[in-house]
Amino acid sequence: MRAVGIYLFIFFMTASNLVLAHPVIYGGGKVVSSFNMPSYSDNQLMYSMTSKWASGLNHWRFTKEGRNTELGLARLNHLLYRYNGEDSQANFYLLSGVGIVDAELETKGTREAYMGGFETDWESRTLFVALKHYQFTSPSLFDLGMTQARVGFSPSETPFDQLQTWFMLQAMYMPETDRTVMLTPLLRFFYHNVLWEVGSSTRGEWMANLMVHF
Amino acid sequence: MKALTFSLFALLSIASVRAEDITVKVNGMVCSLCAQGIQKKFKAISSVQEIKVDLSSKLVSIKTQNANDLADDKIKTIITEAGYNVASIERK
Repeated sequence: MRAVGIYLFIFFMTASNLVLAHPVIYGGGKVVSSFNMPSYSDNQLMYSMTSKWASGLNHWRFTKEGRNTELGLARLNHLLYRYNGEDSQANFYLLSGVGIVDAELETKGTREAYMGGFETDWESRTLFVALKHYQFTSPSLFDLGMTQARVGFSPSETPFDQLQTWFMLQAMYMPETDRTVMLTPLLRFFYHNVLWEVGSSTRGEWMANLMVHF
Repeated sequence: MKALTFSLFALLSIASVRAEDITVKVNGMVCSLCAQGIQKKFKAISSVQEIKVDLSSKLVSIKTQNANDLADDKIKTIITEAGYNVASIERK
């Protein structure tokens, strides 16, 4: 019964293709986001209760040599610090989650799982840098760390209601699945409340991400 | 005297119902996706006729139906809840 519940949850999250990216947005705001590569995916549905706290649901998939490990988590994010400058903004978020993992990367099994992490970024209208780290664990079954860093620039200061284009480079390190750093050049676009990204890594993995604020 | 009182009343009434343009300078407003929250929050207020966001000047321009429909404190609360800081508020 428990396994059925897990699979129903995972199926729902995957089928609805929902994933999330901005950890906390404005009070009352909702975000759905989907971050996808062959080696992993991160899907979120989040609700910001205030401009400092958000909660929601999160599904992760990690794939290595045809084996998948999947997690379903209830999430709680906190904006610990925000700097609002005249021409830039910086943020530091704390990320947490608790749920269930269905693991088969190293050891096979299904049991409770926990996630902790942080995300920090700085951006102006034409420059962007970000760093985030997630640590996933399930006692005696599963441990995985993921670190991502991004730098990006926009060639122009586009007006509020027009299509925005960014060029970005992402570096990702997941030592439990690959000992090398994966670099992914990508294009980011956003228009009104929709953001999408496409890229291809130096390993030849495609990337397709989508995020909607509403 | 009655005419004078009526004129004063009429003048005050006209003054209080004329539309007001409010310009808010907002710190931290660099991302249009994130600034959608500001627009959404102000659009939800019935007395707001028009809302414009200018990322270049970091200005939010609000047109209200009547003068004094939107107090400074209310504007600051909305901007803060959207995650930003108010640098200044001007009214015309």
